[in-house]
Amino acid sequence: MTGPTSPSRTGTSSAKLSRHGRSKSTSAHCLLRCAAREESAASSPNNGARSPGEEEEKDGGVLFYVNRTGFPIEGVTWERMWSHVAVVHPEGQEMADRIRNAAYLPKHHVPSVPTFKPSMSVPDWLVSIQNYMKALQYNHTGTQFFEVKKSRPLSGLMETAREMIRESLPIKCLEAVILGIYLTNGLTSLERFPISFKTQFSGHCFHHVVLGVYCNGRYGSLGMSRRPDLMDKPLAHRTLGELVAEFESSYKRYQHTLKKVKIGLYVPHDPHVFQPIEWKHLVLNAARLGAQEMRKELEKHGRDMRMKVACETHTHTHTHTHTHTRTHTHSIKTT
Amino acid sequence: MEPACRKDKPKLNSTPTRGDRARQKSAQQEHKQRQRAEIYALNKVMTELEQQQFESFCKQMQSQGE
Repeated sequence: MTGPTSPSRTGTSSAKLSRHGRSKSTSAHCLLRCAAREESAASSPNNGARSPGEEEEKDGGVLFYVNRTGFPIEGVTWERMWSHVAVVHPEGQEMADRIRNAAYLPKHHVPSVPTFKPSMSVPDWLVSIQNYMKALQYNHTGTQFFEVKKSRPLSGLMETAREMIRESLPIKCLEAVILGIYLTNGLTSLERFPISFKTQFSGHCFHHVVLGVYCNGRYGSLGMSRRPDLMDKPLAHRTLGELVAEFESSYKRYQHTLKKVKIGLYVPHDPHVFQPIEWKHLVLNAARLGAQEMRKELEKHGRDMRMKVACETHTHTHTHTHTHTRTHTHSIKTT
Repeated sequence: MEPACRKDKPKLNSTPTRGDRARQKSAQQEHKQRQRAEIYALNKVMTELEQQQFESFCKQMQSQGE
């Protein structure tokens, strides 16, 4: 949950807004609103980007810009970042100038990219990856440095992950999911799938996404968030329902009500795959389902995913190519 | 044209030399490093701000609860 870091930019022209408006294919959107709502911003656990195709929703007043032009960051984006923080921070321009005009700034250590060793256990590898992401830090600047389009082919997103490693800058939740996928590619005993949350606090909606992981009968997660209990979870949960319940419990600490959970399909380990990530194979309206039914549906989905892999492995072994692309949109109505 | 004349032909100013490209690349790297340093300095400040605001929000909620 963040403090009121939302941009309180008044007077932004509609021309600027439309130029930086959200496209359906992008999950990272630029500033769309001017007014900040302190109480909701204060409660925002995570400034997750919206999924493509979702209805217009206010993201709790917490908005962010996106760097779409690579590195070094070009002038307009750079100045916009500083203008934004100067508005948000109580010390304003003075704070910004102090940093920008500093003759010397400490060089932030570039964390070493974790390298998998055969002697490492899967849990240890996940810890290593999570530590790497934490070393990059959660991005509180209000400008997302890496553009992530959720509808892009996996291969393209893996290129973005490589860029994240190369540039070594703070990241947010969606970037962490992409990076987590990249760093766990090849560890075929580990399955990865996105888990998206939509929560509500004080009449505002918030979005967040983590990378669910499954290995050897246990579920866990990798991710980045403002709040430490809304990101990585150990590979200790026996069912998917248990894992999601853990997140719901964490959200409750911040007085957030879980509204929707979206579970994606397992992400292929081949980084050159052209298909996009399936982000919402199962969509559950938590408001309409009871806790027990939610768990049941999640557990069923978990079993389905495991069986799907087993089926594909079996047919692959028998030199059969069996593509099972059933899109499962749950019958539970969504708002 | 004789080969000797070709050698005397002046180079076009618009064509960057290898040295120019190397200098450009080096300048770009330095620029990126400076940007990275500023980003992390800024992120430190904004993280502290967020933490302070979150703590005061929690205190506020706690006192309201009481």
